[in-house]
Amino acid sequence: MSRGAFRLSWDKSILLLLILLVLFGGMNNEYFATGDNVNFILGDISEIMLIAFPMALLIIVKEIDLSVASSLTLASALCGVTWQATGSIWVAVLAGIMTGVACGLLNGLLVTRLGLSSLAVTIGTLALYRGLCYVALGDTPIADFPTEFTDLGYTPIAGTFLPWVVVPMVVAGIVFWYVLHGTRFGRWLFAIGQGDEAAEFSGIPVLRVKLWLFILTGLMCGIAGIGYTVRFASSSPDGALGFELLVIAAVLFGGVAIAGGVGTIWGVIAAVLIWGFSQSYLQLIGWDANALVIVSGVLLLLSVTIPRLLGALRESVAQRTFRPKGTEGAPPPPGEGVAEHSPAGAGHDQGSHRG
Amino acid sequence: MSGGLSRVARLREVPVLSALIVLLLLTAILNPAFRGGEGLKAILIESALIAFLAAGQANLIIMRHIDLSVSSTAGLVSFLIGNTSMNNMGISVPQSLMIAVAVGAAVGIVNGALVAYLKLPSLVVTIGTLYLVRGIFNYLAGGVTVTADALPGWVAAIGSGSILGVPDLFVIALILCVLMTIVQTSTRWGRDLYAIGSNPPAAARVGIPVAHREFAAFVLNGIIAGLAGMLLLFRFSFADATAGLGIELYVVAACVIGGVAIAGGVGTAMGALIGAVLLQAITFALGALGVSQFWQQAVAGALLVLAIAFDRIVALRSTQRINRLAEAPV
Amino acid sequence: MAQPLLRISDASKRFGGVQALDRASLVVHEGEVVGLLGENGAGKSTLVKTLAGLHQLDAGVIELDGRSFRQGNPRLAREQGVAIIYQEPSLFPDLTLAENVFVGRQPKSGGRVDWSQMRARTASLFADLGIDLDPGRLARGLSIADQQMVEIVKALSLDARLIIMDEPSAALTNAEVERLLGVARRLRDQGRGVIYISHRLEEVFQVCDSVTVMRDGATVASAPIAEVDTAQIVRWMVGREITEMFPKVPAQIGEVILSVEGLSSTGEFHDISFEVRRGEIVALAGLVGSGRSEVVRAIFGIDPITSGTITMAGTRLSRHTPSRAMAAGISLVPEDRRLQGLLMPASIAHNTALTVLRRLRRAGLVRIGAERRLAEEWATTLRLRYASIDDPVERLSGGNQQKVVLSKWLATSPRLLIVDEPTRGIDVGTKAEVHRLLSEQAAAGMAVLMVSSDLPEVLGMADRILVMREGRLVDEISRADATQERVMTAAAGAAA
Repeated sequence: MSRGAFRLSWDKSILLLLILLVLFGGMNNEYFATGDNVNFILGDISEIMLIAFPMALLIIVKEIDLSVASSLTLASALCGVTWQATGSIWVAVLAGIMTGVACGLLNGLLVTRLGLSSLAVTIGTLALYRGLCYVALGDTPIADFPTEFTDLGYTPIAGTFLPWVVVPMVVAGIVFWYVLHGTRFGRWLFAIGQGDEAAEFSGIPVLRVKLWLFILTGLMCGIAGIGYTVRFASSSPDGALGFELLVIAAVLFGGVAIAGGVGTIWGVIAAVLIWGFSQSYLQLIGWDANALVIVSGVLLLLSVTIPRLLGALRESVAQRTFRPKGTEGAPPPPGEGVAEHSPAGAGHDQGSHRG
Repeated sequence: MSGGLSRVARLREVPVLSALIVLLLLTAILNPAFRGGEGLKAILIESALIAFLAAGQANLIIMRHIDLSVSSTAGLVSFLIGNTSMNNMGISVPQSLMIAVAVGAAVGIVNGALVAYLKLPSLVVTIGTLYLVRGIFNYLAGGVTVTADALPGWVAAIGSGSILGVPDLFVIALILCVLMTIVQTSTRWGRDLYAIGSNPPAAARVGIPVAHREFAAFVLNGIIAGLAGMLLLFRFSFADATAGLGIELYVVAACVIGGVAIAGGVGTAMGALIGAVLLQAITFALGALGVSQFWQQAVAGALLVLAIAFDRIVALRSTQRINRLAEAPV
Repeated sequence: MAQPLLRISDASKRFGGVQALDRASLVVHEGEVVGLLGENGAGKSTLVKTLAGLHQLDAGVIELDGRSFRQGNPRLAREQGVAIIYQEPSLFPDLTLAENVFVGRQPKSGGRVDWSQMRARTASLFADLGIDLDPGRLARGLSIADQQMVEIVKALSLDARLIIMDEPSAALTNAEVERLLGVARRLRDQGRGVIYISHRLEEVFQVCDSVTVMRDGATVASAPIAEVDTAQIVRWMVGREITEMFPKVPAQIGEVILSVEGLSSTGEFHDISFEVRRGEIVALAGLVGSGRSEVVRAIFGIDPITSGTITMAGTRLSRHTPSRAMAAGISLVPEDRRLQGLLMPASIAHNTALTVLRRLRRAGLVRIGAERRLAEEWATTLRLRYASIDDPVERLSGGNQQKVVLSKWLATSPRLLIVDEPTRGIDVGTKAEVHRLLSEQAAAGMAVLMVSSDLPEVLGMADRILVMREGRLVDEISRADATQERVMTAAAGAAA
């Protein structure tokens, strides 16, 4: 199938790009490929990576969560507040993670129970959760975390140059890869993205699956929120601003189709790494840190534009080479579909295919 | 006013307006300090920029699209004008307008072309341009800060001036929203937007040039975002690399609260303006009532979620009612 | 009579391997209502879509008002005076009725949309047709019947000469149908031509001046309504005696598998009770819109029910969902193959295995090899024609796609197989294979419930026929007593 063939080449080219980038960077800048720098890069991308995994699953089932950055910050905030209140870092970590889960649960319920568009809902909860961060913290960050906690942010794991935050990242990568590409649940996700009605007619509990994905996203935001707290040694209400856009950019650049039904975990991993390494390289050669957002924007635009252009190109080539094959029944001509669209009849069940 | 226009207004804007009035009255009753009119004036000044941007955004949301790049565009324009003034010892109004329109149109053309003609999702495209423009902006701005003394006198004059007690900034936003509402309710171009948002395939079937309308609305919104950059400068007499950061969500919130439903097909720019004022009024009311300022954003967010859910619940209710009617024995 | 308003002659159109239109002809005069009749797949839709500007004929002539009709462009078709009223119209829910009528060409005065003129003109058009609707209300929530009325008014405002009503009554109540027929007569009296497509012969006799019957893409007969009767029309439509095209295998009919009692769903169907036994094929017949698909979807747990019970092999099913239905041994081959039956971009293997992934796992992982083997086995059993088991099903022909749907459901080893329009839009050869397969499954002890609009199929396959009309079960016919006329009569509610 043409889409599959293209997806493969997209993933391959991403991986190739990553390798080229690392080689190029390593050759042109002596600091680029050092353990210290890689340690820094891996820490820097860890939150994006953690949230990009569940975001990929959400986009595969044609949903989205824009509230992830706010959820992450709220998790971090609750972690800080609980630390101050209880003095137990374990309770604080648990509180942070549960906060993330609660955020995801609310999003999921609004989307699956009320049937709201996840885009609209999560724009709303983005503002809500961010607001709650200010409620929890005021405008003063909490920064008096124990040093053995915050040291995890940059101390390498003994005998390596890898930071401790790599551990959840690697574990999550393996788990998500396994779930998406190996299990029945993963198959269900692709099925929902490729045709949610057919998925429902195949016995897949579509709404329940989506609810769990939102909760899972919340959980990962909670974990990322703890990582964020560790790395910055503080909980602050204005952390991770605009982070949701980075995550989505990375997921789409990793070959997950915004139209759903297509995507791989290793494409997402490669995309996040490319983002991290390219940021690092540009910074090393003296780019302004703030100007680096250009890279994110360009990557995002390219990741949706190129597949569309290639698709259009392939279509026009295909149309010139052979006439479209008709199926036995009269195929619906373009611009048709009268039976499908009857919003004015919202009173009558829209999806009802009368028989 | 003609029947259709009043009908549209009656349907969606009135509840928001009533909520606003009740809120203002309550605040005035409970907090005497608010009664002097200064409180109201502050609300109008603060909501002007959001309302101005909402006028263009409403067109897009009506068509089931969205443009998140407006904050970057506005910020870039405000910096460019400020910076030009700083380097050239002042800048004229036409020069400023040229910068605003040129930059805004450029961003709008990119967004519009990708969404309307390449059929890419507007959310993704405008997140991309949000980054891209913000990145260019940061690259140019670096550590530069434009302060009031580098700006020509007319900037501060508009920023602090008022007409009949109404702040200039709000008057500008009001004029744009009124004009836009007239376009939306009384021109075929405007009506096409509602048809597209209400039932896209049917709009194409009745011969509405959907892609052209989408493109034009994105370009128009880009230009409005560019002009909003001037408002930003008027308001703060100050510009640096953070100008306009994050306001896109307030613009969307103002639209949705003001009755421009995210599902498309309904709402007006005037509604969005009322929504913007209401958002700001809540912030002020909370402050005036002694609620910690830290609750303000959370309340605004909760309100946005409620506005979205409310529309849906009302729709579900009416569907159920009709199903029950259909059940009536024949 | 004078020169006809519309004259179609020798119209032919192919889609891939199917001859949708085969030298069809149709004539409509001014001030005439022509009933266009035929079974599903007879070519009516293709003809209508050609007039709508959605298809272009391979060969043949269409003349409108003596001039050659320019094909292939919906806008052009409208400008030439053709308007189509569909079974499910598509209005703009957020716009007023008046604006729905004039959308894209709202009357203007002084550069601005003239709302009062628009409302006044709509109101007068409504009055002309005796429609009691407020032009100022929104279209949202309007009943299908009222939506059709707005579409008709829109056609009139465009001054359409030829108005085609494509099964407009399928979703309407009796009272609504009466009003619709009244409007059709008014249109005729205004000198317009009307093509009325319906499966309900009763309506055809009430409103049409003549009938044209199509079969297998060709026009088999045209006659003034006064010269024909129901039996004659049914003979034309069916055109053949039921032959041994249906390889019915004798089966031992055993104990009750599915028992449905008092099943109701608000607005869809009411008080449905029946049983299906082991080894039995039960057909659920009725017109499109009579509630058949809704009933089987409710049995499979897709649609909610408001009251009644579903019992599988003695166990009452509660909190019914598709996955619980599957666990109870129910399979549903749905009506819409492309939307409900298959994941079009996914491979044959993935589609086949989707329903039985639980069985194919080892240590939580889906075994790719076992999945492919399963799909290949079923492909062989059902004689699927394919290049690779990894090919997306969208590359297969309709008949082969249907075989994949059957595979994925037979793979669950159901005790009750529900098939909704199992042979719609597939070629004759595959059709026979599907019939053979259903027969064999029944003979092997499966209970089969078949929804079908294909009368020969119903008569040829079923041990028992249940007929639905307007959401209710109206007749139960044994195989021995079944005739086309009896089923048709029960379904259409006409006195034959």
